Amino acid sequence: MAVAAETTTKWSRRRRLTFGRVWRAAVPYLLVLPVIALMTAILGYPIYSLGRLSLEHYTLFELIRHHGQYIGLHNFGLVLHDQVFWHTLFRTIVFTVANVGLTIVLGTLVALLLIRVSTWVQIILTSCLVLVWAMPQVVAVQVWYWMTNFQNGVVNYILTELHIGNFFQHDWYATTFSQLALVTALIVWAGIPFIAISVYAALTQVPSDLVEAAEIDGARAWRVFFDVTLPIIKPVLLIVTSLSILWDFGVFTQPYLLIGQAHIHPGNYLMGIYLFEEGYLKADYGRGAAISILMLVIVAAMSVVYVRRMIKIGAEG
Amino acid sequence: MRLRVIATAAVALVLGVVAATASASPQRAAAGKLTVWLQVDAQSGWPDIVAAANQQFQKDHPGVNVDVQYQNWGDHLQKFDATLAGGNGPDVIEMGNTEMTKYMAAGAFADLTPQKGTFDNSANWLSGLAKSGTYGGHVYGVPYYAGSRVVTYRKDVFAKAGIKALPSSLAQFIVDNKKLAVSNRSTKGFSPVYIAGTDWYFAMSFVYDYGGAIARTHAGKWYGALDSPQALAGLNAYKRFWMSASKASKTSDEAHPAPYDIYSQGGAGAIIGPGWYSCCVGNKYKATTAQFVMPSHTPNKPMPGFLGGSDLAVPVTSSQKALAADWIKDFTDTSSEKALQAKGNIPNATNLLGTSVNERAAARSWFVPAAKHWVDVENGNILRNMLAQILTGKLTVRQAAASASDNITSVLNGA
Repeated sequence: MAVAAETTTKWSRRRRLTFGRVWRAAVPYLLVLPVIALMTAILGYPIYSLGRLSLEHYTLFELIRHHGQYIGLHNFGLVLHDQVFWHTLFRTIVFTVANVGLTIVLGTLVALLLIRVSTWVQIILTSCLVLVWAMPQVVAVQVWYWMTNFQNGVVNYILTELHIGNFFQHDWYATTFSQLALVTALIVWAGIPFIAISVYAALTQVPSDLVEAAEIDGARAWRVFFDVTLPIIKPVLLIVTSLSILWDFGVFTQPYLLIGQAHIHPGNYLMGIYLFEEGYLKADYGRGAAISILMLVIVAAMSVVYVRRMIKIGAEG
Repeated sequence: MRLRVIATAAVALVLGVVAATASASPQRAAAGKLTVWLQVDAQSGWPDIVAAANQQFQKDHPGVNVDVQYQNWGDHLQKFDATLAGGNGPDVIEMGNTEMTKYMAAGAFADLTPQKGTFDNSANWLSGLAKSGTYGGHVYGVPYYAGSRVVTYRKDVFAKAGIKALPSSLAQFIVDNKKLAVSNRSTKGFSPVYIAGTDWYFAMSFVYDYGGAIARTHAGKWYGALDSPQALAGLNAYKRFWMSASKASKTSDEAHPAPYDIYSQGGAGAIIGPGWYSCCVGNKYKATTAQFVMPSHTPNKPMPGFLGGSDLAVPVTSSQKALAADWIKDFTDTSSEKALQAKGNIPNATNLLGTSVNERAAARSWFVPAAKHWVDVENGNILRNMLAQILTGKLTVRQAAASASDNITSVLNGA
């Protein structure tokens, strides 16, 4: 009897234990479940839809009927055989390199300036940076458009008044190069605050005794920067560079609005605009999906170098 | 711990319910409301006519509100495409006559053929406009209004330059431009006639004036025709005229800036565009502004002008097609059309036509090729790009026209 009672208690205790253990093990998963469900809904499903769409003939006709026609990899073949795609890709890579390079270099210079100036100047500079950062893209485009306006833009006025040349009614949108240069100026201007503030944060982590030691040893400023400061801020630089590549490669709002729909043609496409023109304006959604998947692959390939180096730095740290 | 899990579940449940009701609510709200997409032209030019039509419609259909949403020519089709995919689209949409074919071919609009007889003056609709709303013998678009392009000019500036009679030929107009330029030397950047460099509507008038065309069809295939000798003569004439007339940017389009804004600021002696441009010439010049028909290179003949226009259509996605057709009926009835005519437009029917400068200009007109993919030529800026190349001298007229022609051929025959 006593044995039987003992067994029952043991059993029930073990069962209680098991239930508790399962419950405890399950709670974290239950807690992350909403996040996983949400991510699947907002990321997984659209990517699945995009993939499916890229394998279908889907134009205005199919859009109205909500039913595409499966055509395998035909859309990808069309895009890869399109000369405009390759020209646009090349142009976009050059554009991205220029934009990312300028943003990172100028942003880092602003950060280096920030760390050297007095608190008041720091506050004023940071406020200006935050104001630039806070300006919505569309508003910024409008302001730039006004400033560079052909009829009465302030840029032409100031350049003429300063006797830099006769800029009366100078057309800043006359060539592809100057169109993209204006877009670059706008993107770099808007991109500097993020880089400057991130790099500034990293610079505050550079131990001053290291810098002092290097200076005592007779190292010049640029040598101190490259041998002492740069290795310490490198992880941050890598992160902001790879983020900038992602943003600038797929940029759409600034070039589309600043150059203007009426002036966009295959000779000045960037990838984001090529996708929009082929996919939306021509209402060939299947082809548009194929282009965006190709863009995704290209960006992933470009970021892989940075991601690997970041992981390496992380492991070393 | 358990409490937290329960709380999370409760929040998730609430979110789910909110999401479900959020997606259901627009449809419920749609009942008793008719959504109409008109272009901003109506908002700036004739809001009173829209209001009058709404009033009439609401009298006939008490309890149905009309929500007029104004759209821009530049992006209204993308927005419309999105509603075709996702729902919640308009019940009535204004379409440019050059935009209709692609959508009719894809089956985007409801067939209005059975109701045609109930629209005022439908037996006398302007043939050009009626054709743009008809596909495969079925009516999908109701003509709304047409507009030809005229020269809007300042009588005082022309008189000051010593121009006694309005130009009756292209050559005479170029001579007058020179006089206008000389007498307004003191105004910096003054254009005798302000024309945006890539205003293809105006430039193509020269092509048609010299007997050319944008594209021709042969054996079921389209061919770009801008490299024909006639078209080249037209493009050369455009370049000559533009150089004598306009100080606009060679790459600008006719919407940025609006020509009447240049005019109202005293920057031009004349502008070329739709007749309704007279609306916005500014109070200062209202009294001295008049209009005339653009002369041809053949003396005493008008130059063929682009016959622009709009149709009203009912998207297949509308759940209130009968109500939508009724609203179109009110908005295109005789009184509305007469009011539109008073604003400088061409009414939709021949029996309403008058003798205004706008209506006289419509006597010789041209229209874009009736190809399913025409809108892709427009959106792809093939013609604008060609004009910019010609005016900036980046390419010769012949080179630019040949390249544009090739592009047009490939786009118009697209799958």
